[in-house]
Amino acid sequence: MSMHHDPELDDVLQDDELVRIANLLKATRRAEPPLDEAFRSALRRQLMQQAWGAREARAPWWSRLAAPPSMAWVGAAAGVVLIASVVVFMAYQQPGQNDLVITSPIADAHAVQLQQPILVSFNQPMDHPSTEAAVQIEPATYVSFSWSGNTLAVHPRSGNLAPNTQYEVTIGPGARTRAGQLLLARPKVITFVTQPSSPVPSPRPTSLPTPTSLLNGEHRLADLPAGISYTPQWSADSSTIYFVGDNGALQAVHVNGRAGVVVPDGVSYPAIAPVGDRIAYVRGGKIEILTLATGSIADLTSATDVTALSWAGDQLLWAAGNGIFKAGSDGPVQVASIPRDFAGPVSISPDGTHAAYQGGQSLMLLDLATSTTIRLGASGGTGAFLGWSPDGSRVLYKAGESTVVADTQGQPIATFISGDSSWSSQDVILVGTDTELYAVRPDGSERTRLSAGTYRSPVWAPNGTTFAFVRGGALWSANATPLPGESSALDLAAAVVSSFMTARLNQQPIQAMTYLDDSGKQAYSTGGVALLIRGDARFSRYYVVTQEITGSRPATARFVVRLVLTKGARDVSEYEETLILQRELSSQPFLIDQATAGPTRDLGRGAVVVGVEVGVGTIKVAFDSDLVPETVPDGVVLLDGSGKRVGGRSTYANRTATITGLQLAAGASYKLVVLTSVQDVSGRNVASEYDLNLVGPDPVFQLGGQGTVVNPSPGPGIRPSPSPVRSHTP
Amino acid sequence: MSDLQRDDERELVERAKRDPREFGALYDRHFQQIYRFVYSRVREQTAAEDVTSEIFIKALKAMPRYQDTGRPFAAWLYQIAVNAIADRYRTLRPAQSLDDFHDLSVAGPALEDLASHRDELRRIWALVEQLPGQQKTALVLKFQEDMKIEDIALAMGKSAGAVKLLIHRGVSRLRQDAGALRPVE
Repeated sequence: MSMHHDPELDDVLQDDELVRIANLLKATRRAEPPLDEAFRSALRRQLMQQAWGAREARAPWWSRLAAPPSMAWVGAAAGVVLIASVVVFMAYQQPGQNDLVITSPIADAHAVQLQQPILVSFNQPMDHPSTEAAVQIEPATYVSFSWSGNTLAVHPRSGNLAPNTQYEVTIGPGARTRAGQLLLARPKVITFVTQPSSPVPSPRPTSLPTPTSLLNGEHRLADLPAGISYTPQWSADSSTIYFVGDNGALQAVHVNGRAGVVVPDGVSYPAIAPVGDRIAYVRGGKIEILTLATGSIADLTSATDVTALSWAGDQLLWAAGNGIFKAGSDGPVQVASIPRDFAGPVSISPDGTHAAYQGGQSLMLLDLATSTTIRLGASGGTGAFLGWSPDGSRVLYKAGESTVVADTQGQPIATFISGDSSWSSQDVILVGTDTELYAVRPDGSERTRLSAGTYRSPVWAPNGTTFAFVRGGALWSANATPLPGESSALDLAAAVVSSFMTARLNQQPIQAMTYLDDSGKQAYSTGGVALLIRGDARFSRYYVVTQEITGSRPATARFVVRLVLTKGARDVSEYEETLILQRELSSQPFLIDQATAGPTRDLGRGAVVVGVEVGVGTIKVAFDSDLVPETVPDGVVLLDGSGKRVGGRSTYANRTATITGLQLAAGASYKLVVLTSVQDVSGRNVASEYDLNLVGPDPVFQLGGQGTVVNPSPGPGIRPSPSPVRSHTP
Repeated sequence: MSDLQRDDERELVERAKRDPREFGALYDRHFQQIYRFVYSRVREQTAAEDVTSEIFIKALKAMPRYQDTGRPFAAWLYQIAVNAIADRYRTLRPAQSLDDFHDLSVAGPALEDLASHRDELRRIWALVEQLPGQQKTALVLKFQEDMKIEDIALAMGKSAGAVKLLIHRGVSRLRQDAGALRPVE
């Protein structure tokens, strides 16, 4: 029994029999008691709410924006008696009569799209201020709110949700019904996981077939009237198209073919709000706003000569006569003027900062903030407006027989084939003509012929895969496959990583082993890296934090993959594996040659890095949380192999820290460091220093010096040939 | 606890003292052991949840007044726990078989030869339950939670010598009550 010797007890238990009994006590292995994880989480939330309450009085205004406002939790703190009384009261009611039911279409969903609001629906009318005040979001996120009937839309102010992130949206008991009742006994928690920032490439054969069409699901939806046509409007969930039909009826047609009339007649210039909850249009000399959930219509203003109607976030803008207007508290407010001699078709950018208008042969771009105007295209040349980028920062117009992409200074960025155009949320531009449909990247690369036939006036749905178009006087829709540019080495390596991780996720070790070479198998057998993850927390998902091509002879790819461990429905911890893949010949598949695992980190304790893009001159570090900008410049740093800091101070915007001024040497070792001084907007510091080893990328794999290696696949179109990947891969 | 871990904990504690929102990290670190200790004393899940809630809420409120005495932060939490359990213990009684909580398999190869004494192992923690409250707490903290005497002293609000005495008396009482327990020859 000497193995149980405890020196502290030497002078306490001097009798052998006493020592033996003490050893028996120690020998009784402790079993973990029954524990409800929901209790553990709920208590943590309760503590954090109290902590917020204590902190809030001295917190700066910005840290309170995303905070759980105190009012919401005063009810919880006053709580037990009040909730108990509500419970007792409800016990005497008819079932359901006084229940507050909260649902969300994305509750428990995985791979949730990034560009959408978080919709939370209540089964009865709610008091807006108290309900908004009761909303708390993890990770810390600046948000704004809008309502459509009993549905609350929570909008991340940065425009997008963070990728690869589990969100936890809590509606606290402070949410009151419109009647003033507190019916929520316990916080309602909605969790969901977002998709990666860029689609994970799927395994492809090394030689692609040449299909006649890269579209599917192409079908006719509805007839369109002859004469003037207005741009069809997609619902936010990409399921329904609103368009103006015969007699100016505003009609809705679901992509499965179900159709109906929304407004019977007289509608022009329909414009759906980005959230998808309202449609504005002109009817009977007035601008009306229809709330889709309730069918209620509100008159905004009289307007007899409207030439454009457009939403910029929650703000409706319109062009009428010789000005651009927006709604003010005392009626329309003129934002900018348009010269009378140029009056004609107008389009307002999605961000509400610019308007394009046409007069005669010239296309003009008006800055609404400064009222300055520039001409798009060459002086004296013809120009026709085609569209905007989704963020409004770039404009598409026709010049001669080409489509030009220009910034809002009028500076051309790219030129490609002419046709009707639509710019998707996935940065793919559709170009449709009477005979063909092309897809092309905004820089002109990866031009791909999707199909032959008539595809006029294409309009992408928000999901970036479905689009509407006009053919033969009818409205059609179809789905486009992702741009099928030739698979790059990185795409092929990524496909192997994806298959390997999926096999592990599905507990298929034999399948997983097929993606390892001998050295890789050793790493997962005797090298200390677990092929199958076991334990209390289950391996629930993974994502690629960063990926690089680091060598060409042999072709070598380096991936850092994050494995997320989950208990119940909650992500609780994670760790990273660094995988090195190699192939000797381009005809061979990549195999995993080396693997190492990092330490496990707990989640829910400050901002987390969810993606890193490495370029020769720039590194972008994406976080899951909105950060306090002042903590970023010296909190996100890059060190070289000797530990010396390289590059300039980090800049910060939209959850992303960017380190510029770099000249990374190919193959050299670097370390990205996120210090604990980095703070999210709820005031929490990064829990522990995050280190990510990086390798200087091979410049030949960079995209035209654009500084990204995330998707270096070359396209068969305008890109200079031979493509860098093909020419440097054995 | 290594010096590195101690430094890490000190930093977490200092942060939580400055900003209560940092308390979440301490909660994450210590929840399991506190809940386990509480459950071992009250033996009923709902009661254990109530007491655990009370402990951490008290700890959060008291953080600004917390003084680092060189002992682990957990000792301070146990101190709150001991008091919270004492407040409730008068009205709570074990509601569950002791066997449900104590896995009576032995812990290591050296004790394999004790396997035949499973009944006696089962009995010994039953006998602990019969001990006077403070002896019982001292034995649980020492033998179940593997705490140091100094830390138990802090948690129980006693001197180290008093804790040693409680342990001695408790184990001696067990020897007296467990006459059937004999080493395997």
